[in-house]
Amino acid sequence: MEQNHVACNGGDRDEIRPVVRLEGISKSFGPVKANNNITLNIRPTRIKALLGENGAGKSTLMSILAGKSRPDSGRICVDGLPVQFRSPKDALSAGIGMVYQHFMLVEAMSVAQNILLGQESGIINPRGMGRRVRELAARYGLDVNPDAIIRDLSMGERQRVEILKLLYRDCRVLIFDEPTAVLTPPEIAQLFDALRRMAVDGRAIVFISHKMKEVLDLANEVEILRRGEIVDSFLREDVPDERELAARMIGRSPEPVIELVPVEKGEELLRLENARCEKVDGVSFSLRRGEVLAVAGVAGNGQKELVEMLTGRREPAGGVLNILGRDWKGFFHTPVRQKDGLVYIPEDRKGLATCPTLNLIDNFVLTNRLSFLNGPFMDWKRGEAATREAIKEFNVHPPDPMVPAGSLSGGNLQKLVIAREFYRKPKLIVAENPTQGLDISAMEEVWRRILAVREHAGILLVTSDLTEAMTLADTFAVMYGGRFIDVFPRTDTAKVEAIGLMLAGIKPGEKLDNKEAEA
Amino acid sequence: MSVDLFISLLAATILAGTPLLYATLGEMLTERSGVLNLGVEGMMILGAFFAFFVELKTGNHWLAVLAAGLGAACTGMLHGIVCLVFQGNQTVSGLALTIFGVGLSDYLGTPFVGTLTEGFQPFAFPLLGQLPFFGPVFFQHNALVYLSYLLPPLLWLFLKRTATGLALCATGEYPDAVSAAGVSPIRMRWIGIFGGAFIVGVGGAYLSLCATHMWTHNLTAGKGWIAVALVIFAFWRPGRAVLGAWLFGGIMALQLRLQALGTNIPSSLMMMLPYGLTIFALLWASARGKGRGAPAALGENIAPGA
Repeated sequence: MEQNHVACNGGDRDEIRPVVRLEGISKSFGPVKANNNITLNIRPTRIKALLGENGAGKSTLMSILAGKSRPDSGRICVDGLPVQFRSPKDALSAGIGMVYQHFMLVEAMSVAQNILLGQESGIINPRGMGRRVRELAARYGLDVNPDAIIRDLSMGERQRVEILKLLYRDCRVLIFDEPTAVLTPPEIAQLFDALRRMAVDGRAIVFISHKMKEVLDLANEVEILRRGEIVDSFLREDVPDERELAARMIGRSPEPVIELVPVEKGEELLRLENARCEKVDGVSFSLRRGEVLAVAGVAGNGQKELVEMLTGRREPAGGVLNILGRDWKGFFHTPVRQKDGLVYIPEDRKGLATCPTLNLIDNFVLTNRLSFLNGPFMDWKRGEAATREAIKEFNVHPPDPMVPAGSLSGGNLQKLVIAREFYRKPKLIVAENPTQGLDISAMEEVWRRILAVREHAGILLVTSDLTEAMTLADTFAVMYGGRFIDVFPRTDTAKVEAIGLMLAGIKPGEKLDNKEAEA
Repeated sequence: MSVDLFISLLAATILAGTPLLYATLGEMLTERSGVLNLGVEGMMILGAFFAFFVELKTGNHWLAVLAAGLGAACTGMLHGIVCLVFQGNQTVSGLALTIFGVGLSDYLGTPFVGTLTEGFQPFAFPLLGQLPFFGPVFFQHNALVYLSYLLPPLLWLFLKRTATGLALCATGEYPDAVSAAGVSPIRMRWIGIFGGAFIVGVGGAYLSLCATHMWTHNLTAGKGWIAVALVIFAFWRPGRAVLGAWLFGGIMALQLRLQALGTNIPSSLMMMLPYGLTIFALLWASARGKGRGAPAALGENIAPGA
């Protein structure tokens, strides 16, 4: 188990000479060491997974290999010879190409034009171009029409265009950053099939992931990154299952997730009776202090509109909304902004929750500004002190309040947002997919924080992650087509088991259409 | 007789539309690369002055055109330095360029106000000039008009059928994609700025070498601004730029003739027509232009290191 990457060279399965070797790569962003002395061999016909939590340095390492950024130290060898990549162009001409998570495609142009972009040829012949693209697509089962305009394509099709771009240039090393993040299950199967074909064809595939299942499905070799270093490196055969892989990834057993200890419930904080707005079609529930109510559901079933209504951004079309003892109009006319009020943790961390170019103090004070007033003026000294304290308490990394919020990783930004919203000691919390895109440790920390405030608050958790709902909720509400299919307590195990069905809009074996559950 | 009048009106339309066509196509090239250059008016009038000055000193028309193009292109480079090197605000930089260009040409040109030069003289194009109707309308003008006929198809070919043109258009849409494809988007924008400003400068040369044949104050009279509007009107397509430029040329020619005929409409109102039409054209283009909008990255700077 304690084998390292050098030992990997010795095994008799590794007769194949690496096409690319990274040696001692280091890269820092300010005080943060994104990559620290990383050595890596990439071999043809192999599919290598780079596994690690968010912010572990996977993307940084691969963008160095793709020529997009330059290492502070270390070198890259191609076919045994050291090379220097000054731009993606250098990497591409060495046969190394990357498919980024955010596709690098010009939406207004056609598939063929995108593939041809950057190719050395003076005059373009559109017909010949289309023919060559079609041939290539057929060979790898990457079905796509060369004349289609990118903006009309699905995410899966766009990804195929990205892959074709690299195959057109005959890249020997293809790097994928979270390739399955935007795909539907059949598209994932198709992608994996194409990747295997490319490997058989003699190309080397590297893919970045934090999903254990797809690593087990696809990879031959696995490298695990943690805090900018390769901490483990092994072959697929060495790990039997997801549990073992997860243990290796986070460096400890993932077993004790979080134990839910119910706290005593207090007064009613939020009550909806047949509340309606666009896409919300009569929702009723009640939320009390000490309670986590999870609204589970597949995205797009009215959760967004429900949250907008509850946070005062969308006016209800009818029904009763009682928020902290006042009706909707009364509450949002003069909302309790500071202590004992309503706070909102939005899903869109970099858009709605924070201003990415402002520093952490500005962002922390943003919603707490009334707490830092000195007459009509802002007391920035107190603001900074409070920010520093929050950073320390919530373990935000880097612990520097002067960095722009946009430079933080998703998990750290979310911790900052939660610290900020909890600063006002709210009574009512609306949290929307609070752990989406976070790695395991950040996720656990966010969960712990949410559970910890139940003593003095009620939490409405809107989530599309069933694990999250199962971990945190005292009460479940399953939303489908703008309605709550059912509302039931955690103790109703029969219904909890049937959540999967309810997510699809099916209410199992109920005669009464009773949406109200006892609290 | 009215047919002759009509023909002469159309011929005047072409003459009045040509400088607009040059300026519009130049600005279009720049904007397709994603750079908004509101300095068209300034670059155009500087081009007009350089052309006039070189013509006066050397008497070589084509050298004068070259000087106008290069002079305007060098002025445009100032915009490039602000926007591409220092990531400055493109709108502010462009406005400053207009103020600078108009001011500098006024200052340099003051001693020459009223000085005549020979410039380009009209000549009937061989064969084509003899055609009935088309001959007098299109082919009895000067060399710069004939050159302007070639420009839209050439620009279209460049944008659509060359690898450089493809990369330039892609830079206007999504610079990151260009960079990822191994091409420098900054270089594409330099090409867009330099090439565009050169063409705008030739449009300026037309004014002093073909239209007035002398130097006066305020030679461009807002034609640069009309060109900026025409780029929007043309939905960033070279073919439609011809339509727009000649439409505006037609209005200018028409209002002059109406004035000469002696209508009751005040002349100041007539002179306002092209500018009024500009506003109307912009309104029309905004209403119709959904989905045929500007290059997606127009006006957005490229972060260093991209």
